[in-house]
Amino acid sequence: MSEIGISVPNVNVRGPEVPRTIEALDPVFTVSNLSVFYGDYEAVRGVDMTIGNREITAMIGPSGCGKSTVLRCFNRMNDLIPGARAVGEILYHDENLYGDHVDPIEVRRRIGMVFQKPNPFPKSIYDNIAYGPRVNGIKGNMDEIVEEALTKAALWDEVKDKIKQNALSLSGGQQQRLCIARAIAVKPDVILMDEPCSALDPIATTKIEDLMQELTRDYTIVIVTHNMQQAARVSDRTAFFTAEVDGAGVRHGRLVEFDETSRIFTNPSDKRTEDYITGRFG
Amino acid sequence: MSAQHRTTVPGTRGSLARSRPRYGEFVVKAVLLTAAMVSVATTIGIVIALLEPTVEFFAAVSIGEFFGSTDWGPLFNPPAFGVWPLIVATVEITLIAVVVAVPLGLAAAIYLSEYASHRTRKIFKPVLEVLAGVPTVVFGFFALTFVTPLFRNLFPFLDLEAKNALAAGLLVGVMIIPIVASLSEDSMAAVPNGLREGSYALGASKMLTSVRVVVPAAFSGIVAAIILAISRAAGETMIVAIAGGFKSVFTLYPGNEMSTMAAFIAQAGSGDASVGSIAYKTIFAVGSLLFVITFAMNYLSARMVQKYREVYD
Repeated sequence: MSEIGISVPNVNVRGPEVPRTIEALDPVFTVSNLSVFYGDYEAVRGVDMTIGNREITAMIGPSGCGKSTVLRCFNRMNDLIPGARAVGEILYHDENLYGDHVDPIEVRRRIGMVFQKPNPFPKSIYDNIAYGPRVNGIKGNMDEIVEEALTKAALWDEVKDKIKQNALSLSGGQQQRLCIARAIAVKPDVILMDEPCSALDPIATTKIEDLMQELTRDYTIVIVTHNMQQAARVSDRTAFFTAEVDGAGVRHGRLVEFDETSRIFTNPSDKRTEDYITGRFG
Repeated sequence: MSAQHRTTVPGTRGSLARSRPRYGEFVVKAVLLTAAMVSVATTIGIVIALLEPTVEFFAAVSIGEFFGSTDWGPLFNPPAFGVWPLIVATVEITLIAVVVAVPLGLAAAIYLSEYASHRTRKIFKPVLEVLAGVPTVVFGFFALTFVTPLFRNLFPFLDLEAKNALAAGLLVGVMIIPIVASLSEDSMAAVPNGLREGSYALGASKMLTSVRVVVPAAFSGIVAAIILAISRAAGETMIVAIAGGFKSVFTLYPGNEMSTMAAFIAQAGSGDASVGSIAYKTIFAVGSLLFVITFAMNYLSARMVQKYREVYD
């Protein structure tokens, strides 16, 4: 591309093209002083961040820094782990996600999730997509719902002739797009992605990343990733987490820095962020 | 360096061949094969042992009479050899048992696998398995001396006989609940957690996740559990002998006393049928029939499992 012929690493930072500031944020989630406990162990301590509407927010950091734990608070997935409990506040469109009146099942219908390992149900492709609408009592032409979800997930053309085949006959990358389609089929507001490409090859990864760019027109996306290039390529904002040992010798996940992706990757304000993104740590 | 090193290795030629014999491997293989052969050999032995007297039986009694009559009384004079009363009793008691055990066993399995806390499961499952260890003679007397009198008091309109298929079937059902529950729970617990999470993340409740994702994914294991339970029920002897009775009058009403195939074998086998007599050979003919029925059922269910199972890895 470049006429000068300098080999530039393929790190396309999406941030500068669409400059935004924290203040202009239209928040979907507002996290205040969030701590997450597993039993007595405080896995994550004191997180403050905001997730913007129709943006892609990346959460990066070394293993054990609590980024997945925080992600799983957004759809109350941690409720399923015995002994897990969140302290602090997460507002979802001004409604306290952990309020007494909140039904976690309703939360998960609005806030979908895609997991690290593709986890299609051992059913047909069609039934995988139709599962969510069925269990949520969504009325309408199921064939259309399935086609629309698969089209949005850029999978329709590849599977339209074998829609009744078992989903496990698909490749890993296709399975992951199927899982994204499955999440889309219940028409959520937010899609959470927990390292969605870590089990995929580079080509499948590229497809998922392209898909995320498409989806961000309609959905708010929060992605946890180990891959810094991925965060840089796809996200508008990046949260950098790390694990720190407190005075009592206990490790806690902490949010170090949260800013526009371009700023995090070019001009981070914290030394720890800089060390991490330049590869000196983690 | 490497060239120099190579010359120091003795036996350059054929150095990739096995350097010393591994007899242990052979012994282990032989022991394992023997272990596997024991059950196969036993099965073949049973078939052979059943075959000869069965063939002799059918030389004396026509197949037409055996399967074409509903009159059973090989120990009577004159003897009658219509096997249908035994088949009806066996099928009926097995059906009652299945109707009791499958819903309860599956419900227990779903509870243990999906709902119970870790601590509850740790207490509950061994208790359930102890139930499987209760001698069936205990169930038999419980049916005879507790369940039947209770039902006669509560539901006089059922017109139960002192020994009846209903009480026997219910207790056979209770006997096989642990088999259904424990094996189903094992296969449900083996369903990857990722499938559950996928379902919850779509806004499914625990109940829907259990019924629509976990049970279908564990289906082949559950069917296998049910089949094993049915085989146990069909072959159960002590409960049906004590609580179901030996009267082999052709009847469809479960409130009546009836004799299953296994009960007949126990009765005739412990009686004074002299070796070589036609009554003695009847035992083997009925035994063969029971064997064939169980075998056919197992085969059919294996085919079903193959067809409907949901493979998840």
